[in-house]
Amino acid sequence: MFEFLFKYPLAAFRKGEFALATGWPLWLLALLVALGCGLVAWLARRERSRLAAKPGLAVLALQCLSVALVLTLLWQPALVVQSLKSHQNVVAVLVDASRSMAFGEDGVSRLQRSSRLLAEQVLPGLKERFRVRLYGFGAHPERLESLAPEHWPEPRPSSAVGESVLSVLRESTAVPLGAVVVVSDGSDTTQRFDRDLLAEIRQYNVPVHTVGVGRDRIAGDIELAAVRVASESLPQSRVSARMTIRHDGQRDLATRVTVRDGSELLASRAITLRAGEPVRREWVDFGAGDAGVRNLSFSVEPVAGEEIRENNTRRRVLDVPRGRRRILYAEGEPRWQYKFMRRAVHRDASVQLVTLLRTSVNKYYRQGVDTPEELEDGFPADEEGLFAYDALIVGSFEAAFFTPQQQVAMREFVSRRGGALMMLAGPNGLGAGGWHLSELVDALPSELVAGEESFQRERVKVELTTQGREALVCRLHPDPGRSAELWAELPELADFQRLGDLKPAAVPLLGVRHGRDLLPLLVRQNYGRGRTVILATGGSWRWRMSLPSDDVRHDTFWRQLLRSLVAASEGPVRLTSDRPEYADDSRMLLRAEVRGKDYRHANNAQVTAVVTPEVGEPLSVDLAPAASAPGVYEAEVEIAAAGAYRIEAAAYSGDERLGADTLHVRRESGVAEFFRPERNRDLLVRLADRTGGRYWELGDAAQLPREIRFSQAGITAREVLDLWDMPALFLLLLALRGGEWALRKRWGVI
Amino acid sequence: MLQTVAGRRALAALAALALLVPFVSALQFWGGRGGGDPRAWDFDPDPRAEFQFVRYAYGSGGDSGGWGRRRGGWRTDWPEAEYHLTSGIERLTVIDTAYGGKFIDPLDEELFDWPWLYAVEVGRWHLDDREVARLREYLLRGGFLMVDDFHGSEQWARFMYSMQRVFPDRPVVEIPAGDALLHTLYDLDQRTQIPGIQYVWSGTTFERDGFTPHWRGIYDDEGRLMVAINFNMDLGDAWEHADTPEYPESLTALAYRFAVNYVIYAMTH
Repeated sequence: MFEFLFKYPLAAFRKGEFALATGWPLWLLALLVALGCGLVAWLARRERSRLAAKPGLAVLALQCLSVALVLTLLWQPALVVQSLKSHQNVVAVLVDASRSMAFGEDGVSRLQRSSRLLAEQVLPGLKERFRVRLYGFGAHPERLESLAPEHWPEPRPSSAVGESVLSVLRESTAVPLGAVVVVSDGSDTTQRFDRDLLAEIRQYNVPVHTVGVGRDRIAGDIELAAVRVASESLPQSRVSARMTIRHDGQRDLATRVTVRDGSELLASRAITLRAGEPVRREWVDFGAGDAGVRNLSFSVEPVAGEEIRENNTRRRVLDVPRGRRRILYAEGEPRWQYKFMRRAVHRDASVQLVTLLRTSVNKYYRQGVDTPEELEDGFPADEEGLFAYDALIVGSFEAAFFTPQQQVAMREFVSRRGGALMMLAGPNGLGAGGWHLSELVDALPSELVAGEESFQRERVKVELTTQGREALVCRLHPDPGRSAELWAELPELADFQRLGDLKPAAVPLLGVRHGRDLLPLLVRQNYGRGRTVILATGGSWRWRMSLPSDDVRHDTFWRQLLRSLVAASEGPVRLTSDRPEYADDSRMLLRAEVRGKDYRHANNAQVTAVVTPEVGEPLSVDLAPAASAPGVYEAEVEIAAAGAYRIEAAAYSGDERLGADTLHVRRESGVAEFFRPERNRDLLVRLADRTGGRYWELGDAAQLPREIRFSQAGITAREVLDLWDMPALFLLLLALRGGEWALRKRWGVI
Repeated sequence: MLQTVAGRRALAALAALALLVPFVSALQFWGGRGGGDPRAWDFDPDPRAEFQFVRYAYGSGGDSGGWGRRRGGWRTDWPEAEYHLTSGIERLTVIDTAYGGKFIDPLDEELFDWPWLYAVEVGRWHLDDREVARLREYLLRGGFLMVDDFHGSEQWARFMYSMQRVFPDRPVVEIPAGDALLHTLYDLDQRTQIPGIQYVWSGTTFERDGFTPHWRGIYDDEGRLMVAINFNMDLGDAWEHADTPEYPESLTALAYRFAVNYVIYAMTH
């Protein structure tokens, strides 16, 4: 219809420039229009007796517009456009050959449908004007002879829309490439279709037209869109995973989420996906188990009739390293909480509690030390001694006991070392111990109330806060609701300590009910690279003594609390990869953040990673310093074969070994195309818009050959397109005259 | 006649009084220095202190061998032993200690609020089934029991009659020299028998056939001591008679050191 009215495709108007072909001066046109309008007005005076004022003005305006339009047409309005010269330009047509194009609707696959349409309605039109290069693409583009079924490419396990376009643009620099046509469902499995890639494509100044194939939604399909879970966990600790589930949102679907380690079921829960809620996030908790590498699979059970079941499962590797993280606990006086805390983690597989207990004025009792020399001289006097631990707990110990240097080292332990510091309540703890005047005051998550009276041996009931209900550290049962019940049933604490205002970044997890007030009990916040925690009681031991001997709530709480302190503790070398999973993508970007023994960035380190596949020979890779950040080293590694990979990176400064870290990743094969199986219209629209092309629905693609010629790429010619004979203008003139006639008839002045 | 009747009544009253005086004296003797119901005693240790010395008032139920709670051997050395010892703990350590002691009925729910228990004269105790179950649960939850002041094979057998019902499957063993119990604050390498006050007039450190002192214990599955057994010794007397000139100061000092180690052990293991 547009072309019928306006004679040319919309693209011509978008890309062309308006001009008047006669070249006559514009002032002459303006003068003639003015004279014409004046003549019309003079003639209209004679009718003044027959027309009232307002109708008279309306008729005058319509007549003036008619005069102006006719005079303008005499100047021959036209569009000046750059258009591709016939038979001299190349148009690249890229057909998505990935596995998702095999998904069908009504028994016809996306590839069949698009190939048929291209062959019958698009390619003939293109071939009349251009040389056409056909490509099929998955991860890379490959030339095709034709779109006949016998030449269809094998389904590719992945698709890289943006990178395939870029690849064609690069290889076509020697030919007059006028435009690119991409026929695809928009599924890009590389996760690298970003602003940088688009900018690079745009630099070639070649319009990319995209043709969308497939449905926007697949009825009844459930997809596990994402799984967010830690890559490393402490032995015997609980791990929380967030599963993001997408479905069509048209009706309620009852299903079940599961977590498995091989064939062993770790967690399972029934859920109902609600209509109108197409994205659902579920938290699932499970036990990390003993030390080792867990090959976890997260699944959403398929519902009856579900067409694509391969996208219901995602896999992750969870590393549960051997060895216990070490916590230094300095306690100023023997007390029951000390005893029961130690008992809770006595044989814990992940936490080693090294304690320094002041028993008399000048005597200290050490427990959990590795060597007779450890802590022999008391609390570490410098950073090096303190930084050897992963977390630090300070009990009922007055601040003045520690030198200013030790206090600064404790603060740096958190902010620079990335350790965790937990302060406990007590007669000499927190505000009663003068910590509000210490070097640590800025690091703590709460203001402190000064004075001995802030610590009170008064029994109080503990309550979960809103944040505490969600926090794994407070989870006494896998089911959050049951966990809250268990908390509510706990006996009273033996004592508590008042805290001041919480800092802005503080997160209160537990509180105690005192009168009408809910006072903060367990509060934490991030500080620098580490975390600080306050537990404002020394009386949690009453839980252990007041509950049956087989009740594990006290021990569970303490184990989880202490593990949470050390779980995020990092060594001098921290190795990460750019993605948690590699599904049909073999490029892995390794990144190592390296620090010295003082935990300052090490910029002159030699970092080497050994990548060991499940089957095959290990590969050694040197990581190069990254320009983006100090102490960061990067390398790109090819992981072609599917399976698990173990990557161990070690950093040296000269002959001195700074540290090492281990990473486990998993490379999948043949699964990526099953995710996001519906058409990704947004991606295709973005690609077309940013390059000067246009997005086409498959049904409209037959119009594409006529529009594609308006391009500034390739070999072009300047073309003048007459507009004076546009049907739309004659219709407009007719409408003006007809309108005047209709008004006169209405007012009876014909 | 009237005089005769009045005289007879006065005589009867005198006779009754004469019988009553030794009975009351006997009660006071067996009942300890406070006499009567201990709950009525004027005694109130600081409830705000972390450590309370709590005495196990066994014998509240069933057959207690004639030693009922009010008159039981559980309160032997009470309350001077507690006063002296808690002063020593306060002085020698940084433990926040209540001055004096408390006592607790074995079936009292508050038993679980006090993770330290001291039981004395356990060679005469008898725990009924409910007390046995309660004590086992107390110890399994993490409570600590120190027993003291019983001597000879006969009293050992009586002690074990109840103790074996508390832990039928756990052996009583000699505490080895390297055990942390003997090194928490003081290194107690010498095994000196600590006698009761009878040593002052008898000159012997043993009672009955308890010639050899034993530091025995019952451990939990993790190798932690739950019950510390001072057999053929009387640490309670040594604490009680810390201010008795005739009782050797060196033995009192040793008894204090053992007690301090026991308390610190109980609060750390």
